[in-house]
Amino acid sequence: MTARTVLRNEWRLLMADRPLRIALGLFALLLVYALANGVVWTRFQERTVEAAQAGNVEREQALAQELADIEAGAEPASRFSDPRLPNVMGGARGRHTAVLTPGPLTALTVGQSDLLPYYYDVNIYTNESSFQQNGEVESPLNLMVGRFDLAFVVIYPLPLLVLALSFNVLSEEREQGTLALTLSQPVSARGVVAAKLAFRALLAVGMVLAVSLVGLLVTGGFGAPGRILLWCAAVVAYALFWFVLAAWVNSLRRSSAWNATVLVGAWLVLVVVLPAGINIAAGLLHPLPSRVQMITAQREASNEAVNRRSELLARYLEDHPEMAEGVVADEPGLGALAWAATDAVNRRLEEVTAEHDASRAEQIALVRRYRFLSPALMAQGVLLDAAGTGDARFAGFQSQVRAFAERWRDFFVPAIVAGEQMDASVLPSVPQFNLAEEASGEVTRRAAVPLAVLGGLLLLVGAGAGVGLGRVRGAS
Amino acid sequence: MQTADSGAGRPPLLEARGLSKRYGATQALDSLDLAIEPGEVYCLLGPNGAGKTTTINLFLGFVSPSGGQALVSGMDVSTHDRETKHRLAYIPEQVMLYRNLSGLENLEYFAALGGKGSLGRERLADILVEAGLERDAVDRRVSEYSKGMRQKVGIAIAMAKEADALLLDEPTSGLDPKASNEFSALIERLRHGGVAVLMATHDLFRAKETGTRVGIMRYGSLVTELGTDEIGHADLERVYLEHMHD
Repeated sequence: MTARTVLRNEWRLLMADRPLRIALGLFALLLVYALANGVVWTRFQERTVEAAQAGNVEREQALAQELADIEAGAEPASRFSDPRLPNVMGGARGRHTAVLTPGPLTALTVGQSDLLPYYYDVNIYTNESSFQQNGEVESPLNLMVGRFDLAFVVIYPLPLLVLALSFNVLSEEREQGTLALTLSQPVSARGVVAAKLAFRALLAVGMVLAVSLVGLLVTGGFGAPGRILLWCAAVVAYALFWFVLAAWVNSLRRSSAWNATVLVGAWLVLVVVLPAGINIAAGLLHPLPSRVQMITAQREASNEAVNRRSELLARYLEDHPEMAEGVVADEPGLGALAWAATDAVNRRLEEVTAEHDASRAEQIALVRRYRFLSPALMAQGVLLDAAGTGDARFAGFQSQVRAFAERWRDFFVPAIVAGEQMDASVLPSVPQFNLAEEASGEVTRRAAVPLAVLGGLLLLVGAGAGVGLGRVRGAS
Repeated sequence: MQTADSGAGRPPLLEARGLSKRYGATQALDSLDLAIEPGEVYCLLGPNGAGKTTTINLFLGFVSPSGGQALVSGMDVSTHDRETKHRLAYIPEQVMLYRNLSGLENLEYFAALGGKGSLGRERLADILVEAGLERDAVDRRVSEYSKGMRQKVGIAIAMAKEADALLLDEPTSGLDPKASNEFSALIERLRHGGVAVLMATHDLFRAKETGTRVGIMRYGSLVTELGTDEIGHADLERVYLEHMHD
């Protein structure tokens, strides 16, 4: 009875409070704008992926057609793009674009999908430089702050709305004098505050979840119920954390102004200062090597490789004796020489990028370790992971593309080194990229820890608020 | 101390037994013994800081006693918070309501909290009118109400609750004579309906007019108790001043 009564009264108070209605209206606009942003980005990404996949088919058909024409007696269109040459078929002309389709909840959380590459052109020349140039060499936290999407609204403005709705949930009752009359009824301050916050939580969280639902309807993202549940759980847990924090601050029985100051301070520390501090610490403790250094190393390796092609080929054949057959040591083909140089450049690049990757991995590890200091970081991590727009899915994609590029090289390089020609019969055997999505259980396992910590924090602060409110018996 | 007849062995509606409250070094209430039966209006008189409001707060459970017991229908307020509040209604010195809601909406809310959510809007509007509010003011926002009108909503809240006992803390403070008179008439009606009333007041005239018994408090102690039938206005004033000058 108390809960229903308070909920009804809260609704009336809301309807009678114009500034609050305006604030909620503005928040609703923010949500709609953020969703529209996400939907626009998802559509763009879908179109790009479709175009890339269509490009794969077109290139394969063009190769097949020209090979058939050559077999029928026609001359290749150009000596340098003769599809029978393995470095042409496996090179830029016959390249395969490996794509990562948008995550199921990308419209809700664009996350890093607008910063990290979601397609790579794979050919025999694909090397670490391809991955580095396509990717953003950037701090993981900077990567985490992306487009103005629903996740951004949840992490940054939603707590402010929650605080605006609840910073004076009890103090206002005392200051306007209604608390005495309320507590003279057979109700507890804890029960009244809980019901008042429940109404406000329903309002704020309900708006976010309703707009999210619309987003899923528009983009057809209902195919991943597990991820949707994780997304909703993160939104609810994060919003409730701010509500119980407001309840706890109210239970200290200070003025509304004091509550507002403390809560906004908490928002600043937990949402802005701590994440920024962790970002700075990650950069200071594990600085990324200079990008200029990487590019210089790549150029030096390239020049050196060109000058020492014969020597490099001999070394390459020592390392790959299975490819020595067919290569005339004194008069090696141009393809073999070129490939030896390419391989040498690739190795040098791997050394240089390994240092970069190690620093970046340490940065990510540091951020992951200290994310537990900030509910905002924990919630954001889960939102990104659930949406499939976080580090993990992109890292998985890149790792699969690396493996695919290796299979691609393994398919064409022996023919290059041996100076063989290809024909149409090999086309069906050319490697194809098929993304293996990670199991939803894996995503859940990753999200479980921050969600559990967030839940624990929620219970802890909630218990503190409950104890404090239990002591509120009168008006003073 | 004069104690009213409990009648049929039932405990008094409001009873203080050695009730004490200490705030640090200050003894706000010192071993108060008091019993108020149905149909009685007990007025606590005394200067500021005499312990009148503390007594009411102890009966409401707003503060915990340092000693003794506050009982409502024989139930200790400290251990039966909900049950005793079902039997009590409270009107503070300043009835503060939700300013953005109408008098009727405020009444609906507080009546529902008090367990009378089943009363319809029409019945509640009638109660507001019975409490003295003009019919056309019922649906107006409380922000437009005078203090007297808010006090009437407070009375309506108490009436809607149909409580056995009424606790009033300086209820006529700041009211004009007409509003005070109407207020007294309402208390009289409730008294005749069997409600026990404990009223803290500075208003000796109102205490004599409305009360059945008067207790004079000073420094947290009940220094004397009088039946209002036994004395006139002048006598009450004289006795009061005598105790204040001791």
